[in-house]
Formats: sequence, C-alpha cells, structure tokens
Amino acid sequence: MSTVDAAPQAGMTPPPQAGSALHTTWLVARREIRLRAKTRVFVVTTAIMLVAVALAVALPAILSGHSGPDRIGVVGGDAAVNGIVTEAGKLAGGQAVPVTEPSQAAAEAALRGGEVSAVLVPGKEIIVKQVPLGGVSGSVGTLAQLAGLSRLIQTVPGAAAAVEHGVTLPVRGLEAPSTSLSSRLTGLFTVIIVWVLISVYGSQIALGIGEEKSSRVVEVLLSAVRPVQLLIGKVLGIGVLALGQAVAMVIVFVIAGFASGSSLVHGATLGVVIAGGVFIVLGYAFYCTAFAAAGSLVSRQSDVNSTIMPVQLPLIVTYALSYTVIYANGANKFYHVLGFLPPTAPIAMPVLYAAGDVPVWQVAVSAVLCAAGTVWMARLAVRIYTNSILRTGPRIKLSQAIRESRHTA
Amino acid sequence: MRRRYGAVTALDGLSFGVPAGQVFGFLGPNGAGKTTAMRAVFGVTKLDGGEIRWRGRPVDAAARHGFGYMPEERGLYPAMELLDQVEYFATLHGMDPRSASQAAAYWVGRLGLGGRERTRVDALSHGNQQRAQLAVALVHDPELLVLDEPFSGLDPGGIDAMSAILAERAAAGVTVLFSSHQLDLVENICEAVAIIYRGRLVVAGRVTELRRGDQPRLAVRVAADRAAAWSAGLAAGLGAVESVRPDGTAEISLASAAGSQAILDLARAAGPVEHFAYEDMSLSEVFRQATGASVGQAEAEHASARSAGVTTGAGR
Repeated sequence: MSTVDAAPQAGMTPPPQAGSALHTTWLVARREIRLRAKTRVFVVTTAIMLVAVALAVALPAILSGHSGPDRIGVVGGDAAVNGIVTEAGKLAGGQAVPVTEPSQAAAEAALRGGEVSAVLVPGKEIIVKQVPLGGVSGSVGTLAQLAGLSRLIQTVPGAAAAVEHGVTLPVRGLEAPSTSLSSRLTGLFTVIIVWVLISVYGSQIALGIGEEKSSRVVEVLLSAVRPVQLLIGKVLGIGVLALGQAVAMVIVFVIAGFASGSSLVHGATLGVVIAGGVFIVLGYAFYCTAFAAAGSLVSRQSDVNSTIMPVQLPLIVTYALSYTVIYANGANKFYHVLGFLPPTAPIAMPVLYAAGDVPVWQVAVSAVLCAAGTVWMARLAVRIYTNSILRTGPRIKLSQAIRESRHTA
Repeated sequence: MRRRYGAVTALDGLSFGVPAGQVFGFLGPNGAGKTTAMRAVFGVTKLDGGEIRWRGRPVDAAARHGFGYMPEERGLYPAMELLDQVEYFATLHGMDPRSASQAAAYWVGRLGLGGRERTRVDALSHGNQQRAQLAVALVHDPELLVLDEPFSGLDPGGIDAMSAILAERAAAGVTVLFSSHQLDLVENICEAVAIIYRGRLVVAGRVTELRRGDQPRLAVRVAADRAAAWSAGLAAGLGAVESVRPDGTAEISLASAAGSQAILDLARAAGPVEHFAYEDMSLSEVFRQATGASVGQAEAEHASARSAGVTTGAGR
C-alpha cells in the first residue's frame, strides 16, 4: 500500500459549468452513440439496410431493361418513317432514335450485335431479337402500332379521313387523376422507414433502460445525474443514430433511384419526401420517451418485450392499414382520423399525403398536433420513468407509476 | 431524517454528524435504515422530512458532484469496457476529458486491475467487479466517500485491502462514511461510528469510548496469584472486583478511569504483572446493551417483518 503515491487531483473545471444540465445530458447521449455505433451489430445492420434499400429501388428498374434511348434500325426509310420512329419513342414515354440501315441483312446483323434494339421494315414488319413473353412494349410496341397505322392510311382509301376523326375513343375521367403509383411507393418507403426506425430504436431504448435498471447501474448514475437528464440523454443519443441511419437510407434511395432510372424517384414529389422527413423526426420524438417509460417499469430485461407491446400497438395497426391505402384508391374516414392522432400520425399522414388524399395544410395541422402530443407524452414519460427507475421487484403497474409520481411531484 | 415506505418506517428521526477527514462507520443490523439514509445523501431516496447537510449547507446536485458512491446493490454497465466505464463516471462528476482519462487509468492500476482496461465489466471476476465499483466511486477524487456495505462478500485479504484504501483516503483528507451490519468486523477499521436501529440512532461516538462504556473494566493478572489475592487491597474508591477467572485474571470495574494507574501500582507491588488491559466491549455488545436485543435477534425480526410485508404487498 503506497500512501505516498497520491491520486491525481480531480480536474474540476468549475463544477457548476462542467456539470451543467445540458453538458451532462450530452455526456449521456455521447455514451449511447459511441457504444452503439461501435458494435458490430450496428455496423452490419446498417450495411444490410442500405443494401436492401439500394436493391429495392434499383432492381426493378434494372430488370425491366436499360433506360437509354432505343435505337431503331430502319431499312429503306425516309424522313416520314424516321418521324414515326421518333414519335413512337415520345408516346411510349422514352426516346427512340432512327438508325438508317442499308439492307435488311445489315439491319439484322446490327440487331444481333446489340447496336439497335429493333428493326423497322416500313410497310412490312418490325424485327426484334427475341419477342418477350407478353409481347413487345415501350417504344417498339408503340412503333408497331404507329407504323401499322401509317401503312393503313397509305393502303386503304378513306382511312386517312377516318384517322383524322380518331380511331380510338377519347378517354375521360370523372375525377382528377390521383397521384401516380410512384408517389405512393415513395410514401410506402417513408412509412417503412418510420416503422422500422421507431420499432428498432424504440425497443433499443426500452432494453437499454431495462439494462440500466436490472444491472443496478442506475443508482450509481442517479447519484451524479438527474433522472430527466439520463432519460433525455439516452433518447437523444439513440435518436442521433436513428436519424443518421434514416438520412443514409434516403441518400441511398435517391442515388440508387436516379442511377437506375427507377420510376420511384421520377414520380416522387419533393413534398412527399419532406413530409416523410418531418414525420420520421416527430414519430421518433413521440415514441422515444414512451419506450423509455415502458423500459423503466421492469426489473428484468427479459420483461421488456411485454411492456413495450402496448406502446407498439398503434404503430402496428396503422402500418398494416397503410398497405390498403397505398394499393387501394383512397383512404377511408377511419384512416383519415388516424392521420391526426399523435400516436398514429407519423405513419398515417405521410401515406395520406403521398396518396393525394390530404392537402398540405392538413399535413401541417397534423404535424403541429403531433408535436403537442410529443410534449405531453414526454412529460408523462418522465413522470413514469422518475417514479419507476429505482423501484425493483415485480413489474410496476402503469397506473401506480403515474399516480405515485403525481403524489410526489 | 424521516422516511416511510407505506406502513414501514425506514428512518424515524435519525440524526447524526460525520466528522471530516475520518473513516466513519455507519452500523446497525440489516433493516435498520442504513441504505435508505445513504441513498438520501445522493437524493436517490427522497426524504419525507429532514435534510442532509454538507459543510453546513443542504446537499444539492453541485455538492453531490464532489461525492463518491458505492451502492449496496453494486451496478455497472455490463457490456462496457472497464476503463471507458470508469472514465465515463469521472466525466459525469464534472471532470474534463483529459483528467478523467488520467484518473481512470490511475485508479484502475491502483486497485490492481491493470491489464484489464479493455475487458468488458461482465467478463471480470466478482472480486474485480467490486474493485471496478470502488474505482468508479473514487475516480473523481471525492471529498466525501459513501460506501454501502463495502466489506460484504470480501475475503479477509479483500477486507484488509479495502480498509487500507479507506484509511488512505481519510489520511488524504477525504471523509469516508461506510455502512456495515457486521458490527464487530469493522471495529478496528473506523475511528468513530453511529449505530442505528429501527431508523433511530442508538449510540454515536469514537469507537474506543463506546467500547469502553460508562463503566470501564480492567483485566489484571499477577504472576502465580491464581486467586487474585492482590486485589484484596483494592480500595473501594478505585474500583470493585467483579469476578476472578480460573487463570487468576481479576475483572475490575473502575470507579473512574483515573484510578487505573493506582491499580497497576497495587498489582505490581504484589508481583510481576502478566496482563493489564481494558476489557472493552465489542460493538455488538454495545448494541445489545443499548437496545436490549442482539444484532442477530434484530435481523431475524426484520426478516420476518419483511416476508410479512411482501405477502400483504402482493395481496393488495
């Protein structure tokens, strides 16, 4: 035992400053970030999520073929035929470029070599390398129709006049067209992110608090830190990780979407993305404290699952109903109501907006309601947490936790 | 200090002072209210009445930054590496990052945990977890150290090492307050104690004075005097012989402490003095004398009251 070997003097930079509430909260948050970001689980799950997002966006576009302009070989064509080719590309929603070929043999060679994607022999036929199941589509399909029509006009007397009056019936809708499928899919992507982030990180919060309570480290912590600092620090730290992952997923979504020419990003309006971002933050803010309170009710980590179930329930119901809204046309009254309730709005509102069922001002109202609900939830959760975090033994009844905290508050 | 848990009164007007720069024992049988009182120091338990003062001022969050705490229910983050953990608690107590990491490294080494800096706490042995817990309590160089049952679960070597560290901190000016329900185990470890029972103070004071009691007793043996015949000459004003042991040791209750040297002179006149010492009570005897119950009885009573309490609690 060496009494001479004195302990280093504590570097107490003026304690009131160093120990300020915000600084302490930040220290708690930083521990969460450092400890969790370092784990292999976090790195691997983040990587898997990002790859999954990239594949989900890019695969359909890649599988449906390239998105560059179609090069159409034309045998013995003229300006009029080239015009038909260009027009067909436009009508199909893409681009088609006529390439004049000297002979049919040369054209077929170019087709085999992949230099052109189809060959038009005016007045006769269209040749593709292989007829896909379900027939040709896109520029080539439209070209087949247009070229066929122009032949009809040339060969059948009076056909030109008939075509002038239109060969197909006009299409008219009773209602303005609803938002495109791609906008809805962007909405779906948003709710999947909201759902995954809240459930994954919410249960991490609850488990983390259950761990602090069951390992009894909380008593050491509370000798230096106020309960509310511990709670806020924890949800902030985990929130930073959650938000970081969300931002990474959105970036991958956008990059993969544009790189593959996926219709997901072409149809997505900026509004849907912004609404999604707002509700990801609001949803996390609303649920993080609720999960923390649920975690504080148990003494053993294994009991956490049973207390977070009621917290997750509104999310699960809304998430399941979202699919009906996205794939069916329009939402029912019930789902509209869910869009304005703070616990369900973070999922329901982005879906309603993406599906074109609500105007922007209603999204704003819902966001304000959700923010107010978040404040209310945080206050309630802090009460429950403060009252439960040091009580060990059997699971604490929720009513007990609220009542007694009122009593002492 | 007052605190009730439902029908159970944990602290019933308990009040005592701890002298600065000493190792102070806070003793009492299990269930006496020691842990409740120590938690109250850190605001972990809220008092129904009363207050804790440090250097004359009520204890607040700023004061607690200068306190170190080792709770009875030991607790550290199981999945966190040892050094990170000690460092983390240092920063929570207001240390800047550099001094925190220096102090953490110092205490980890000082407590014999060198080489395990990067070990997760749950991979440490039980004894090493105890040391890690102590490092967390010590790392920010607290001016008050509060340790709840620091000796429980330690082997004799561990008890020696722990008491050496407590003595060292007290010598460095730190006020050390520790609790124990093993009254006799710690009587040589602390200078002064407060003994409590049922949430109330039984006695407090310096250990030597408490053990000597109001009526100090001497044990004196003179060589080859099996009947303690020398003591026949003892004047009534000095003391009275209570009993004579088979080996000839006379147990004498002193009339006043000042008379001890006169008795020694008397014994030496009769022959060579083989044994001359105060017959001090053990602290558990002090407890029994003051409460009329032994420590064991008190703990059995607490245990049965607690099991009854659990049954009614579940019934509610």
